[in-house]
Amino acid sequence: MTRSPVGTPVRRVEGRLKVTGAARYPADHNLSDLAHGYLVLSTIGRGTVRSMNVDPVRAAPGVLAVYTPFEPPPLEPPWAQDPTAGIGYLQFPMQDKEVRYHGQVIGMVVARTFEQARDAAALLEVTYQRRTPNASFADGVPHATQGRPPVDILAAGTGSIDEALARSEVTVTATYTQHPEHHNPMEPHATTAVWQGGHLTLYCGAQAPLLRALQVAPAVGVDPARVHVVSPHVGGGFGGKVVAYPQSVLAASAARELGRPVRVVVTREQLFTVTGHRPAFSQTVSLGADRHGRLNAIKHDAVSSGSVAGPYFGDPADWSRTVYRCPNIHLGARVVPLDVPPATIMRAPNEEPGSFALESAMDELAATLGVDPLALRTANYSTTHPGTGLPWSSKHLDECYRVGADRFGWHRRAAEPGTRVDGDWLVGMGMATLVYPAARFEMAMRVAFRRDGTADVAGATADPGTGMWTVLAVVGADSLGIPIHRIRPDLGDSALASSPLVPGMLAGAGGSTGTASAAPAVRAAAESAIRALRKHAVEHDRSPFHGLSVEDVHYRDGVLHAGRATATFGELLTATGTGRIEAVEATGQGDEVTRHAFASFGACFCEVRVNRWTREPRVARMTCVVDAGTIINTATARNQIVGGIVWGVGQALLEGARVDPASGRIANANLADYPIPVNADIPPVDVHFLSYPDTVFNPLGARGIGELSTAGSAAAIVNAVYDATGIRVRDLPVTMDKLLAR
Amino acid sequence: MRPFEFAAPDSVRQALHQARDGSAYLAGGTTLVDLMKLDVMTPTLVLDLNALPLRGIRVDRHGLRLGALEPMSEVAANGLVATGYPMITKALLLSASPQLRNMATIGGNLLQRTRCGYFRDTASPCNKRAPGSGCPAIDGDNRTHAVLGTSAQCVATHASDLAVALVALDASVVIHGATGTRRMPVAELYLLPGVTPHQEHRLRPGEIIAEVVVPTLDWARRSTYVKVRDRSSFEFALTSAAVAVDLRHGVIEDVRVAAGGVGTTPWRLPAVERALRGRPMRTDVFEAAAMVASHGAKPLTHNAFKPELLRRTIVRALTSLAV
Repeated sequence: MTRSPVGTPVRRVEGRLKVTGAARYPADHNLSDLAHGYLVLSTIGRGTVRSMNVDPVRAAPGVLAVYTPFEPPPLEPPWAQDPTAGIGYLQFPMQDKEVRYHGQVIGMVVARTFEQARDAAALLEVTYQRRTPNASFADGVPHATQGRPPVDILAAGTGSIDEALARSEVTVTATYTQHPEHHNPMEPHATTAVWQGGHLTLYCGAQAPLLRALQVAPAVGVDPARVHVVSPHVGGGFGGKVVAYPQSVLAASAARELGRPVRVVVTREQLFTVTGHRPAFSQTVSLGADRHGRLNAIKHDAVSSGSVAGPYFGDPADWSRTVYRCPNIHLGARVVPLDVPPATIMRAPNEEPGSFALESAMDELAATLGVDPLALRTANYSTTHPGTGLPWSSKHLDECYRVGADRFGWHRRAAEPGTRVDGDWLVGMGMATLVYPAARFEMAMRVAFRRDGTADVAGATADPGTGMWTVLAVVGADSLGIPIHRIRPDLGDSALASSPLVPGMLAGAGGSTGTASAAPAVRAAAESAIRALRKHAVEHDRSPFHGLSVEDVHYRDGVLHAGRATATFGELLTATGTGRIEAVEATGQGDEVTRHAFASFGACFCEVRVNRWTREPRVARMTCVVDAGTIINTATARNQIVGGIVWGVGQALLEGARVDPASGRIANANLADYPIPVNADIPPVDVHFLSYPDTVFNPLGARGIGELSTAGSAAAIVNAVYDATGIRVRDLPVTMDKLLAR
Repeated sequence: MRPFEFAAPDSVRQALHQARDGSAYLAGGTTLVDLMKLDVMTPTLVLDLNALPLRGIRVDRHGLRLGALEPMSEVAANGLVATGYPMITKALLLSASPQLRNMATIGGNLLQRTRCGYFRDTASPCNKRAPGSGCPAIDGDNRTHAVLGTSAQCVATHASDLAVALVALDASVVIHGATGTRRMPVAELYLLPGVTPHQEHRLRPGEIIAEVVVPTLDWARRSTYVKVRDRSSFEFALTSAAVAVDLRHGVIEDVRVAAGGVGTTPWRLPAVERALRGRPMRTDVFEAAAMVASHGAKPLTHNAFKPELLRRTIVRALTSLAV
């Protein structure tokens, strides 16, 4: 019998393509006659474009077209039913003369080469009627408007959350702030658009290829069936490549107008305003507890920045309903609409800021009570979902705490903060709980037996680095009982969609749902394909099983058996002269969601070192124990957990856009001035998976892991900085200037 | 990037001859090409100096001589430099990334332009880039900006680590020009911004830095360069300190202290040196001496921490030499 690869470390099936440079990313498609579009961005924060002198631009070498608000590219209004509208932007570029934020697309120059387009764009003279932008988040926080109605979960007899807090023996209250964080995937957003006979092909990085086709088709006024999105390698997504940002619609529109392929690449600096970002947040958390640390009240009020040009705002307080047992919970979400670029989802959109606030507050409560932060967490352990009272489908967070503390050596934590010194370094330990809700989307997969003894496993999902190529291969091999090298996975192509997009379907990577959505569909399609193969075996007159009853023909590990007769599926299909036998199945969430609550859990432990003289904080080591059900591929899963921690290091210590309140300009919109972690910032990370299958959630028992370790790791770092220095920093990033106080 | 002419002279003489108003010399290109792409520098003629014989790392009776076209990585890997002048090696290794150090040269490093975000953004006013247009940094995003040597026209920080070490070591540059060859202390090479922040150095148009000469200083073996920044690597200094100590029987016989990340030019700290000379090698002495490092500092909205961080950086650097 073939050994199942599930739960083992499997190398990425597309890894060789990537490390040898053979993988083709969206901007790698060098078609003949390709033209290049370069975006022109506004240099004011609010106002109206009065004039643009395009003459010198048109006269520049190689220029083919210049689009401006005065000569806009033909685009239909955005698709009214776009399921991503809530995380996208409201106006297509250049359809009016209004400037809503600094760095808005107000022009595009198309030329024969990228350099010609860029150099010509520099010649464009623009005059504006300026107005003063409203760009200061801090100034807007006191005047924030309601983002969603507040949620109050109150015990019987308690009139309000403030009453519950007033009745608590101990309370802590603090405000936690963070600046906007910006998507910077490895490949900046890029689209190469080609029209052929009324059909459009888009080579672009898409977290949901089918969705991208559905977004772009109405913009250029064609039937979605005529738009083919090719996105086998995304170049990194993290939530930033769900929405079709301007490069996709502009490339499509210009390519049709000019009758030749057009590529539009958003430059690294332009990414900061042309695509989405994580909003700025100001969160106030009050915790009420008895003197043993048992929580009586959580009041979590979050304010998010918003944009006049897009509907999205963050709702980080939502995280506080998923973590601890607490009879009284208040979750508030307000928003400050600003003249800044539209925000969007970004890895653990609500959970990253929400966990920073609540898990910092828990650490403050532990310090106030004089109890161990880990003991405080276990004292408030929830066995049911605190919001709904539904039992968790499978929760082993207590074991995560125990195993994590043991592997990390939590017992060596000093009793008093700021007391452990090793040479020139102050040493501190911190921890935090990780929680990320588990969900599945409707997903369709096709499995096909082929005459050459291989099997296709294909669907219109995406692999933005998450490991989905390999998940399809691993689950396909497991479901069909054949070795992984005989599985031919395929994804990242809207033409692979085996069913139309239905409500509740993402058909891609997002929300840590990819594996939990795709794997059950692969298994279901494999089972159907096996049934179809057995039926074919008894019905085809050239089959060695012809005439037998289907029930008598058994399939195991790629081989059909009936009594003494055996044939591999390749032999059978060769004998019957059949190319392929296939099946498509779609699976999704069922009514289990009415009986259980679902989440992935973990515990994160961190040691930081703060220089005793100059106070720069450095993460020394981390331990992360994960309860996320069955782990399909331990290699790529570990990569996801470590990657999420890298994001936690960025959030805690480095990242944050600085918006100039007077101009609305992002002062550090480049990777030199917006630091993200480099290898030297990332310590050894000890990742351990508990691997209890959650078969209530899906037949494979796998929950999501893509965002889990971003939902809490920054708090573990900030808490460790407190332990090292005795200084509580509530404004991210924690930089040395905030630690010089003593 | 604007169209430009390109030439690659094969001698210093030819380079000097070809230089003209609007021309720029290209060495490693790690600053120039960047700024040309950003439209900040718009030379009409680029003269590639890489064929010029300005190479070599050697020690002679004058001291250590570094050819201006030596890549940073070559100097950083040189044993003579590492043993005799550890602060130079450290300053180089803490600069940029290995890829950039392979390209960037010693001469180019000294003439690199500031990293001020307003200087690099042609849509913003900047007195250095467009004289008279204003300085948004003074009231804007200025966490990384200078607190020493600033003026009402410019607060841009000098970005070179190497220059800080060279100023501490009293190094000079050998300069070739149309009228001959001259030598100038690195400390005098740079101009304070004053009312002319677009004039950054004393090189005359067309002149070429040929060589860096570091005078012999035996006790520079006990030297270091400490660089403080948010990220562990690949970032410019918030503060830095180049320190060398001539330590005899626990007493500081002589000392060199210079600071980076805080000045509009690399900043020698003679007052700190005076406060250390003749004193014992002790933390309380370091702390007292460091107090004078930030005299005259003018903090801005977002860099008020720099004077304190500078003092601590100097103490940290001195402490590391005490062991």
